[in-house]
Amino acid sequence: MWRSAQGNCRPGPAKLARGRGLRILIATVRVPFVRGGAEVLAEDLRRVLVEAGHQAEIVAIPFKAYPPERILDQMLACRLLDLTETAGRSVDRLIGLKFPAYLIPHPRKVIWMLHQHRQAYELWQHPLNDLHTYANGLDVRSVIHAADMKLLPQSRGLFTISRNVALRLKTSCGLNARPLYPPPRDGGRFHTRPAEDFLYFPSRINRLKRQDLVLKALALTRSQVRICFSGPADDRGFERECADLSRKEGLQERVRWLGAVPEEQKCDLYARCLGVLFPPLDEDYGYITLEAMLAHKAVITCADSGGPLEFVAHRETGVIAEPTAESLATAMDDLWNHRDRTKEWGDAGRQCYSDLRIDWGNVLENLLQ
Amino acid sequence: MKILVVTSGVPFIRGDAEILAGNLLEALSEAGHEAELADIPFKDYPPDRIPDQILACRLLDLTESSGVRIDRIIGLNFPAYLIPHPNKVIWLMHQYRTAYDLWDQPAAGGLMHCPDGPLIRETIRRADRELIPEAIAIYAQSQKVSDRLLRYCGIASEPVYHPPENALLFYKCPSADYLFFPGPMNAVSRQWLAIQALSQCRERVRICFAGEPGGRTRQAVRKYKLSDRIEWLGRVSEDRKRDLYAQCLGVLFPPLDVDYGYVTLEAMLSSKPVITCADSGGTLEFVLDRQTGVVAHPTPESLAEAMDTLWADRRCGAAMGEAGRARYRDLHISWANVVEKLLC
Repeated sequence: MWRSAQGNCRPGPAKLARGRGLRILIATVRVPFVRGGAEVLAEDLRRVLVEAGHQAEIVAIPFKAYPPERILDQMLACRLLDLTETAGRSVDRLIGLKFPAYLIPHPRKVIWMLHQHRQAYELWQHPLNDLHTYANGLDVRSVIHAADMKLLPQSRGLFTISRNVALRLKTSCGLNARPLYPPPRDGGRFHTRPAEDFLYFPSRINRLKRQDLVLKALALTRSQVRICFSGPADDRGFERECADLSRKEGLQERVRWLGAVPEEQKCDLYARCLGVLFPPLDEDYGYITLEAMLAHKAVITCADSGGPLEFVAHRETGVIAEPTAESLATAMDDLWNHRDRTKEWGDAGRQCYSDLRIDWGNVLENLLQ
Repeated sequence: MKILVVTSGVPFIRGDAEILAGNLLEALSEAGHEAELADIPFKDYPPDRIPDQILACRLLDLTESSGVRIDRIIGLNFPAYLIPHPNKVIWLMHQYRTAYDLWDQPAAGGLMHCPDGPLIRETIRRADRELIPEAIAIYAQSQKVSDRLLRYCGIASEPVYHPPENALLFYKCPSADYLFFPGPMNAVSRQWLAIQALSQCRERVRICFAGEPGGRTRQAVRKYKLSDRIEWLGRVSEDRKRDLYAQCLGVLFPPLDVDYGYVTLEAMLSSKPVITCADSGGTLEFVLDRQTGVVAHPTPESLAEAMDTLWADRRCGAAMGEAGRARYRDLHISWANVVEKLLC
């Protein structure tokens, strides 16, 4: 408790620090005991800021999104925090990543939005979401909308991790934001090898990733397409449904479930596969598309998959199918039967990745300008 | 169990609470629990931001995470220990001392001088009085912190001591000819008092300081012509620090009113007697006068007498050191004990 009081009367070190780079706080929220892509992104951002000579720390506010009134409490909690200075020294920049932490006030705030509170926007009334089923659901939604619309424009810069997230923000709140793509972690470890006889579907086993749709498509393929799935199960019930489905359709010989695999094995699977399957429902961004491109592999995605559509060029670097079993089956047969062309699409994807200039230098330049 | 340790921290500053929380998390996972830290940022100026942040803590919901119950939260410092939870345990490092014993201390900042100071002080005190008792159990890091909570808020708590870092690495050697004054070097540690005392010693006592002398201390050394009886070691490594403990004749630790004080425990782990002062606070919970060290008055004369005693009677000093080691053992100061208490 003394610490800040003592710091108050020491203006000297602040000047010194400015010469050494900025003092930057990354504001995000965290569901305790859950670790996902958002945590990885925040840590990566902190690491590159430090490597660039800045002082950077993550402030992670615990978040619980139910019952709906708790969301409002936590929005208020974020508004009550004060990150303008620490111990008498100015915080030069606040980078907000997630709702409601991006609402924390700061005169030099930039937002690099991972996503808004999706249940109040594009997932409203979605079967996988229950906010609309609460008596106060509608009220809570309108408060979230009002806060986003009023407070997001107060930041100095508004960026998103993808064009998809920027588009949603434009549609729902009428706000303009610029996409800044975060690079996948350790991009250098991805490599390529000659294609073997399987398509690779790396994703957490989760309804939004639609492993079930892919199994239904597999049952409709004319060729003996084989698929390798990897990723931990978020939802045990859904995992069982997928297993039942593959049994019912007699697909056991043609699918492999690897569960969670080490990073090294994942890279190897990318390198050896024929092509990558990534047909999620309205993904914010999706590192998987980029990892496939780094491994010189063609990507099959769907017209409603969101993020991947920013990167996959139809019949140039992969296939954009309709989100139906029939259409996906056609795409899978197509890749399976035209190996040379599939390889060309993969190589074109790698070239496309280079042209996109997805690198941390570009991200930092924009966030700190 | 799923356990969240909650702290209030100042970003960019690694304070005592963060270090303690880190060690506690390690001990909890070693005991087989799933434990994580929730560190809520805290800024205590201008003073009217303090009530905002009390409210922010009250608005957080740590009862569950993704539908799974969080079995326990452990609150360490203000205002994070006010976060509500049906199974909350508080292990109090300290309250917001500026609203209590440091209210009129100039070094503690401006709460007293702020127009709303008394009102904010009362808000903090009321929050503590009314909300700390929500916890299912209340512990304090030391008797001193526990006493303060009782005196100011009328709330009873039990002290639970924890070991210093790397407690197992401390050892003892036969004593060489010096008293050891470990860091840190600041006004509260009162090096200058030790130097004034040295000028009054009858024996040719020598002191090794871990650290560099401050202005006031340097002056005192010159004035009393003591430079041949003092060694300034500068910043020492952890290994070197343990060697200095192991080889010294005794440890000098006369700070002004510390809450806990790892130095006392480190001296006891090294089987060395401790010289401390009657107003040193936390050290008095461990040092038994004339049994495991000497409790002097905070005057040069009294401190000099204590130093002479240890210097002249080596056998007595060694026996007090051994008694200190035995006392450390009897107090059950271990992380296993802390975990057992906090989770009972």
